[in-house]
Amino acid sequence: MTADRRDFLKGIGATALGVCAFSCGDKQEAERIAGAAQQIDPSDLTWGKAPCRFCGTGCGVEVGVKDGRAIAVRGDEKSPVNRGLLCVKGYHLPGFLYGKDRLTHPLRRQSDGSFKKISWDEALDLVAQKYKEALAAHGPESVSIYGSGQWSVFDGYAALKWIKGGMRSNNIEPNARLCMASAVMGFVTQFQSDEPMGCYDDFEAADDIVLWGHNAAEMHPVLFSRMLESKRKRPGVRIIDLGTRRTPTTDYADMYVEFRPGSDLALANGILHLIVKNGWVDEAFVKENVVFRRGIEDLKTIGYGCYGKNAERYGFKDKAKPSSFAELKTFLDDYTPEKVSRISGVPVAQIEALGKLYGDRSRGTVSTWCMGVNQHSRGTWMNNLITDLHLITGKISKPGSNPFSITGQPSACGTVREVGTLANRLPADMVVMKKKHRDIAEEIWGVKPGTIPKKPGYHAMDLFRAWSRGDVKVMWVQTTNPWMTIPHLSRIEERHGDDQFLVVSDMYPTPTTDRADLILPAAAWIEREGVFGNTERRTQQWDRLVDPPGEAKEDAWQFIQVAKRMGMDHLFPWPDDNWHEPMWEEYRKFTLGRAKDVASYKQLRETRGLRWPVIDGKETRYRYAAGHDPYVKKAKGVHFYKAKGYGEKAAFWLRPYHPPAEEPDNEYPFWLCTGRVLEHWHSGSMTRRVKELHQAVPEAYVELNRADATELGVKDGDTVRVASRRGSLELTVHVDRRGRPPRGSVFVPFFDEGRRINLLTLDAMCNISKEPDYKKCAVRIERV
Amino acid sequence: MRWLGLFLCLGVLGVAASCGKQTDGDVPDMAVPNRGEALKGSAATRAKRRAFDGAPPVIAHKDFRMACTNCHKPKGMEVPGVGFAPNMPHGETTGLSAVARCVQCHVFKTTDKKFRQSSFAGLKQDLRTGKRHHPLAPPVMPHALFMRENCQACHTGPAAREEIRCDHPERTRCTQCHLARRTTTEFTR
Repeated sequence: MTADRRDFLKGIGATALGVCAFSCGDKQEAERIAGAAQQIDPSDLTWGKAPCRFCGTGCGVEVGVKDGRAIAVRGDEKSPVNRGLLCVKGYHLPGFLYGKDRLTHPLRRQSDGSFKKISWDEALDLVAQKYKEALAAHGPESVSIYGSGQWSVFDGYAALKWIKGGMRSNNIEPNARLCMASAVMGFVTQFQSDEPMGCYDDFEAADDIVLWGHNAAEMHPVLFSRMLESKRKRPGVRIIDLGTRRTPTTDYADMYVEFRPGSDLALANGILHLIVKNGWVDEAFVKENVVFRRGIEDLKTIGYGCYGKNAERYGFKDKAKPSSFAELKTFLDDYTPEKVSRISGVPVAQIEALGKLYGDRSRGTVSTWCMGVNQHSRGTWMNNLITDLHLITGKISKPGSNPFSITGQPSACGTVREVGTLANRLPADMVVMKKKHRDIAEEIWGVKPGTIPKKPGYHAMDLFRAWSRGDVKVMWVQTTNPWMTIPHLSRIEERHGDDQFLVVSDMYPTPTTDRADLILPAAAWIEREGVFGNTERRTQQWDRLVDPPGEAKEDAWQFIQVAKRMGMDHLFPWPDDNWHEPMWEEYRKFTLGRAKDVASYKQLRETRGLRWPVIDGKETRYRYAAGHDPYVKKAKGVHFYKAKGYGEKAAFWLRPYHPPAEEPDNEYPFWLCTGRVLEHWHSGSMTRRVKELHQAVPEAYVELNRADATELGVKDGDTVRVASRRGSLELTVHVDRRGRPPRGSVFVPFFDEGRRINLLTLDAMCNISKEPDYKKCAVRIERV
Repeated sequence: MRWLGLFLCLGVLGVAASCGKQTDGDVPDMAVPNRGEALKGSAATRAKRRAFDGAPPVIAHKDFRMACTNCHKPKGMEVPGVGFAPNMPHGETTGLSAVARCVQCHVFKTTDKKFRQSSFAGLKQDLRTGKRHHPLAPPVMPHALFMRENCQACHTGPAAREEIRCDHPERTRCTQCHLARRTTTEFTR
């Protein structure tokens, strides 16, 4: 090898150039990112508080705004809910506002199927005209509103007042019927008042946290962090995960109990059996605070709401009859650990361990549940049984001992459950069926006596069936995406009739806007003023922090304007530039003195939310508990004062095991369970437009057990066809990733509009709450 | 000698190229600095992985299906073929067990494709160093302390870039001298 000095220097020069190319490029990149001259200091942003837009936890965030745009978010360290921590959806909140395909103008469908931009005046006139025509020609049962647990309180209250107090129709339903209706009916049947008695502080006080079909690590990540933190600080805390598949929650559990889908009914009864048999009942508590009730239990009489006549309109009504502890003992004879083990697949030793856990009164026990229990063909029964475990052991309304239903949506509690945006409800636990309740509402609303009809409207499942039959002529959908989320979608897939009119308010195009006759652009989250109510009864307010894009308007405003065009100005007598606070204070009248007392608007503005009942400006951590709840006058113990029908005691319900509506067989040998993933919110219309979230989980998939995959001859990453009796989809196989189903069971998330799993699901529903069961139907898997 | 120079040159360019491109095909545009490059490149490359200053960075490598702390240990770890895995800045005692479940906030990137285009432009990461009251005063932290309680993770060791590298790592109670600035306004009565 020969090389002269010149060549050597050339080489060194090139090397130096290379080094420079790297380091200079890197420096330039750093400078580009830093943008030293234009760098904005975070403390120069305008930071405003808001609750997170996504799940029911209600984390506090601070949004950083510059030049009218949200450019950052941080966990609110002052929020008692999350103490500064968020999950990945929360950290990426601002991104969902800025998809380039935001809907910014009203769009009217043309005869060729295309959409044409129209003015707000034209759009609002058109909606008013369609509602008026339907009311005149077909009556109040032909008009409807389908809303959401993501509505702010203002949206829900405006919708409720307009449809019930203005149009004299009870056809208002939220997507929350698909989400927490079973929890509502659980609390109502047992305490005659909705919503939990406990709060998040329970996680720091409990010794045992039992998650019933609740993948909290993904669905309520910040609450799960509170559970883990509690365990870190107090190593004796145990986390018990009861489920039908292993999830990220399982990785942190002290015990994982895997049960056959639907057999949680038997498992809960098995635990009750052991508590009674072993003398672990808190007899003094039961004697003082509990009555026993029993409902209709015959499977044929009840059905599932999806077969035969019930497949068109499901109106089963339970009938309560008195029962007793003696009858309970006999009833539970049928649920020996051995028999329960045969039904559920849970080993006897684990059933016994659970019995001991609930039966040990020296340890505080909190049970949490969410969609696994609620989206269940006997969801109300399961809610009852979990609460029964707490009633019989006296583990209720105490710090660290409570049955704690966790809600899915940010204002399923605040809007749907508290305002009562359901076909049968009015605000503050009141119902349309009771004259006294209608009278109260009519008086507060200033409408004529007899305005509100006493017959409940269609529940959500029947509403869409009525729509597909053509019985409902006008539907206004806001803040939800039913053409992705209604089970057994093919029933409502076809284009509706010419005499029907579908209005959809949303921020982005979705499969639901694809079917609309009129699309209205919605202002979202911090683009408008709002109030949400979270799972622990905490009401949280936020101000408008940025302007909505184009001509987008908030949902409540849209309702009010249409109502005014229908001559119903009297319902909304407030000035156009200041109606939120007066509307809140009117709504608040419903709650005062009914143990649902929400805080004043002024107080909400100043705080990070308060848990109702708020009396003399003070919130309540534990309902029904002496020393905590100002409505309880006793010196100690509990008082279920809302349950007038039970003599101010709680009702323990005897509920049997019923099998699911559809089970695997030779033709369709797998269970299908559906649900969310951490990164995506519901049908993905917001989170998929956030780059980081979409790129983490870009499409739906099917989780398969490794042994099943081997037997089918497929591996992780392959494509298979998943087929049910109702439809089929091609999906990528995931084996041993974040979720690990047992043999004979698969899981598919529902966020992907290109792969709508609800084409396959069954529309079986809870006999009492009418909430559909998204967790259990039969499918087969085919290699593609 | 000609070949030696060319070899050196290609070598350096190769390193530069590999720094900008993850070797794993699943994650094409993510960069994990190796031990040497970490000094210069980590802040810039990490900033690229955040939606905005303060957002948790997207994980820079593919899912190895193992506990994050296997590599992201107190002193970090050089992972052959991947890059340098720094320690976590989150403290043990704050943030509701933030160190317990990393993927609650940090997600993997599995595709470069977008679902829809976005006009979101997040707050740029501030790579400037903290200001001093006077030349001998300890610099004020230019960022919030929450979730960044473990100062050593970014200010000492191989992952610390030169400008913010601490020359007194033995003094572990950093907040004794360095304050976190929360506002740019001044005190008024």
